[in-house]
Amino acid sequence: MSSHARSAEKGSMRDDAGPATHRATPFFDRADWRLVVYICLFGLLLYQVALPFLMIIWTSLKTVRPGEPEFLSLVFSLNNFSRAFASEAFWTALWNTLVFASLSTLLAFVLGAFVAWAAERTNMPLARFVGMMMIARIIIPGVLITISWILLASPNIGILNHLVRDIFGVRNFFNIYSMGGMIWVHAIEMVPLTYLLLAASFRSMDPRLEEASTMVGAGNWRTLRRISLPLALPAVGAALLLLFVTSVETFEVPLLMGGRAGVRLLTTEIFQATSRTPVDFGLSATYSVAMLTLCIILLIGYFRLVKHGERYQTITGKDFRPRKIDLGAWRYPVSAFCLFIVFCITGIPLIVMLYASLLPFYQGPGVAAFKSMTFENYTSLFTGDEIWRPMLNSFLVGVGTATFVVIVVALIAYYVHKTDMRGRRLLDYLAFASIAIPSVVLGATFMWFYLLLPLPVIGTLLIIMLAYLTKYLPFALRFVSNSMMQIHRELDEAAQVAGVPWARNFIKVMLPLLKPGLLAAWFWVMVHAYRELTVALMLARSDNRTAAVLILDYWEQGSFLKLSAFGVIMFAVLLVIVLISHRISRNYGVQEQY
Amino acid sequence: MLRSIIAAGCLLIGAATLTVAQQTAELSPAEKIYAELAKLSPEEREKRLVDGARKEGRVVIVHTLRGELGRSHLAIFRKKYPFLNVEATTDIGSQDAGERLFAEATSGRNLTDVISVSLTDLSEVLRRNYIARNPTPATTAVLPQMQKYNDPQGRWALFFWSEHGMSYNSNMVPKDKAPKQWEDLCDPFFKGSVSFDPAEARFIAGLYAIMGEERLMKFMECIGKNNPIIQRGHTQRIELMLAGDHMVQGDNYLYHGLSIKRKQPSAPYEMVFSAPIVAGMGASAINRTTQYPYAAALYVDWTLTKESQEFIASRLRGPVTIKHPYLPDDITLVEAADPPKEVADRLMEAWLRLVERKR
Repeated sequence: MSSHARSAEKGSMRDDAGPATHRATPFFDRADWRLVVYICLFGLLLYQVALPFLMIIWTSLKTVRPGEPEFLSLVFSLNNFSRAFASEAFWTALWNTLVFASLSTLLAFVLGAFVAWAAERTNMPLARFVGMMMIARIIIPGVLITISWILLASPNIGILNHLVRDIFGVRNFFNIYSMGGMIWVHAIEMVPLTYLLLAASFRSMDPRLEEASTMVGAGNWRTLRRISLPLALPAVGAALLLLFVTSVETFEVPLLMGGRAGVRLLTTEIFQATSRTPVDFGLSATYSVAMLTLCIILLIGYFRLVKHGERYQTITGKDFRPRKIDLGAWRYPVSAFCLFIVFCITGIPLIVMLYASLLPFYQGPGVAAFKSMTFENYTSLFTGDEIWRPMLNSFLVGVGTATFVVIVVALIAYYVHKTDMRGRRLLDYLAFASIAIPSVVLGATFMWFYLLLPLPVIGTLLIIMLAYLTKYLPFALRFVSNSMMQIHRELDEAAQVAGVPWARNFIKVMLPLLKPGLLAAWFWVMVHAYRELTVALMLARSDNRTAAVLILDYWEQGSFLKLSAFGVIMFAVLLVIVLISHRISRNYGVQEQY
Repeated sequence: MLRSIIAAGCLLIGAATLTVAQQTAELSPAEKIYAELAKLSPEEREKRLVDGARKEGRVVIVHTLRGELGRSHLAIFRKKYPFLNVEATTDIGSQDAGERLFAEATSGRNLTDVISVSLTDLSEVLRRNYIARNPTPATTAVLPQMQKYNDPQGRWALFFWSEHGMSYNSNMVPKDKAPKQWEDLCDPFFKGSVSFDPAEARFIAGLYAIMGEERLMKFMECIGKNNPIIQRGHTQRIELMLAGDHMVQGDNYLYHGLSIKRKQPSAPYEMVFSAPIVAGMGASAINRTTQYPYAAALYVDWTLTKESQEFIASRLRGPVTIKHPYLPDDITLVEAADPPKEVADRLMEAWLRLVERKR
């Protein structure tokens, strides 16, 4: 019997002794607690999301910046909107953003979904290794991946271009500084996210429908197309939505490659508006409002897609074990293809990083380069600098944020998908809306917000965690919502009928069933909170610097060679951690991958 | 001897002075202390500062010599005054430092005592009278040719400067083809092989000081036609150029390439000294409502001491009281100061239109 079913059964058995409600005092009545938590959630989201949004919308309607006396007056203007919409730059950036986001989403989804399906649902060899490398890859900062690809496919110095020239005599075959190059680099950056989003869903899929399909003669491909993918529709929709919005919001690739490619995106325009002196808060807020509108339209589309949530419920009170599809002879080519993808997204950048980390200054591969190799970039990481405090801060921020975010999104997902409480859909909208706030605007908003609100959080880790809570809610929510949608309501209803108090039902039944999604969300938030830079930088003071800020230091002083050394060490450390956790999990019989 | 051409630099100082003249606001508590301290001999002043700072025990500094450089600089200060708890932010740039003080001051929070910034990033906080007047005898140590950048009212104390100039990959550019003047970057030989960061107000202001508006417009037009590389990241561009990605840095800090070349003499790096070099002046300024006036002033004075200035020179940045560590004496320096706002807007728009978006 699965742990899911056991948990549910335990709850039922306990309530055989008699309905708990009859013994409870009115204050502790389960319906009241459900309402109290619901109201608290609303309060939290209003504070964490609605207030920053109000500030952004307010700023977009103001021609003076925050801090000016007129900023708080009730005089509004559409001047920022007319400035933005009247400029050709806005429409060019919007078009470029749509093209960039659509194509990178599509590419990341195809690659990530295939790997997730192959690793989780088929009997291909090395599935566990592929999954592990996907997860380990997430820790490498995006900026390093971008630089690695610049060194690989830059027109004059790219290693791949050198290879093509030497073999085929074609000069500068690849040009990473192009829309195509930007799409490729960003798409492979998002493949692990796609994998994480879909793997949990694939893992929780009831195999009986697939077995039925196979029994009536449908092949693997047809079963995948007609059964598996439709069953994973909420996860697929969420993945597409998140990938698209992440692409709209992304910053590293447009910043490092877009300028040279001559491709400006909305985030580039926002960055430019906030890089001037004085900062053009009004214009950057206006661009944020445009991005918010785009995201709300997408979210509405997503909700329409998954409005019949009960269709995707595959986890019931009955035990099941997801079936592995036998690919026969195809399992080797599929495995090889997955390994190739892993090599592209993890192996190649890692090799480039390792190579660059050993050089005193960057040179293309050659005798001179190999002769000049040194470990100085590694040794300089640990000499005379304050490395440990920021690392500890990042650890605390990562773990703290991830834990809190996961608790909050589990509750939100429960209310949205398993109750009929009035306004529950608004919870989902609120929690998701913050995805439209670019990091640079989010950081500035939180800084201003807590300057105006005299709470003693400036300069502490708490202010960073609060900002991250807003930033990562949408991502974590989609992870957990997918898993929640797969849980049949009958479990919750059975617990209620049996008189199991609401809190006990949530903790003992729902949370264990949500474990794959919760763990995926926790891991994703933890890693991203650990490596996030923009917000951390804007809120950093002397005592709350994080590892990402340290990375920027290296970037500023030692260029990407020292940063590469740092990336190699980070990757090695994480790989060891993942390996140890796997070993421990296996020893204790835990099957979850995260 | 450094030969300086000053054009727009005077505008900044003039405008700032005018603004102060208009603001007859009464002195803040910190400014009253500074006015008293200004009457003392340097020795007595230092003693009073140390005693006062010892009582205060704390100071919050935003240091825009970033990362390890700023921390190492402050480590010397901490070592000299171990009784002070120096809380420092060394991760943000000059503009953000100005923004931070601005944000804190407008919201009535006193969280930062001293910022070190480029003079061009001080204008907004000066205009709003957020900076304390702290006339200090320490500024007398500044080299004569740099004195003009100091504020007679003591609202900032110059203590370093950084340079933007041209450099090139000597493996890709033969000596006879090397650029001599800024306009040489328009040579078709360099087509598609000259790199710049995206629009930087400071750099454009420097070019304006060198060329004036009309010549600068023509320069931007011909640069745009020569298909420049626009890529963010000064250090990254240097690395890429040394790797053979392109020939010339149209705008970059010269010291970074030099520090690589000193470690690795085979690095193909050459600097151009025949064209004027844009100098960005860096200064420290005290929050007008600082909670730790003695410690703040002690730090500002300390930045001009021999040990502080020698440290700056040892890291190839420009000191202001001693000779520059590597720039020849006969170069032409031009201070990057704010042109009038309408001119600055026009130039920025032209850069975006002619250079960045043209491609």
